[in-house]
Amino acid sequence: MEYADQALDAARLGRNGVHKARDLIFSEMLAQLEASGDAMRYVNSHGRIGWKATPSLRQYLTDLELDAQGDLEDI
Amino acid sequence: MLTRESAIIPFSTEALKANLLRLQTEWEAAQASRDRGAIYPYLTAVFDLVTWWEQEGRAVKRAHRALHLRGHQSVRKPEPFAAVILCTTDPVKVDDRTRSKWSRALRYAAEFKDPDESLRDFIRRKGGLNACAARFARRLGRNPEIGAKSKCK
Repeated sequence: MEYADQALDAARLGRNGVHKARDLIFSEMLAQLEASGDAMRYVNSHGRIGWKATPSLRQYLTDLELDAQGDLEDI
Repeated sequence: MLTRESAIIPFSTEALKANLLRLQTEWEAAQASRDRGAIYPYLTAVFDLVTWWEQEGRAVKRAHRALHLRGHQSVRKPEPFAAVILCTTDPVKVDDRTRSKWSRALRYAAEFKDPDESLRDFIRRKGGLNACAARFARRLGRNPEIGAKSKCK
């Protein structure tokens, strides 16, 4: 959600007074993340379509976390 | 994980490309593994993609787009699972017969699998890919024993 909120703020700041609805900005952000291969849709256990990170984004974030832990241990 | 009405978010060509590429990566990972069960993450990814296409009622249309995007000759009404498999595997390694078998097994799972059970567990519980493909032919194929919507466990 932090990722989403940052994108929301960035989208608001970049639009020179044009304040889009939060849902619209959120939708645009999800579409961009999907097109870049970072987010994917799926059918959840309630039969509704949800969104989640793709395996490649999850792996990337895991690598970043491991790198950060390694850096901390080196200090 | 987020839940949001996805019908208002268009599924762009770039998004379709990204999804096909993700599945291709899963396929390559399965190929690189010696584990007999390595095919299941790939088949699960295919299953999940087509299931949400079906949920939006756009599976056949998107299968058409995928075939076109990958330069395959599209048939009038492609079977979505088979089309996605064709678009994301090496046709030399996955021949027509294997593709048809996987597609039938996935269609069987789409009909009878509980949402909370993994595809791997379901297929194994039902006797494997060959058995699921055969069950599809018996229950949902050209001469089904029962109606297509009656669930069984």
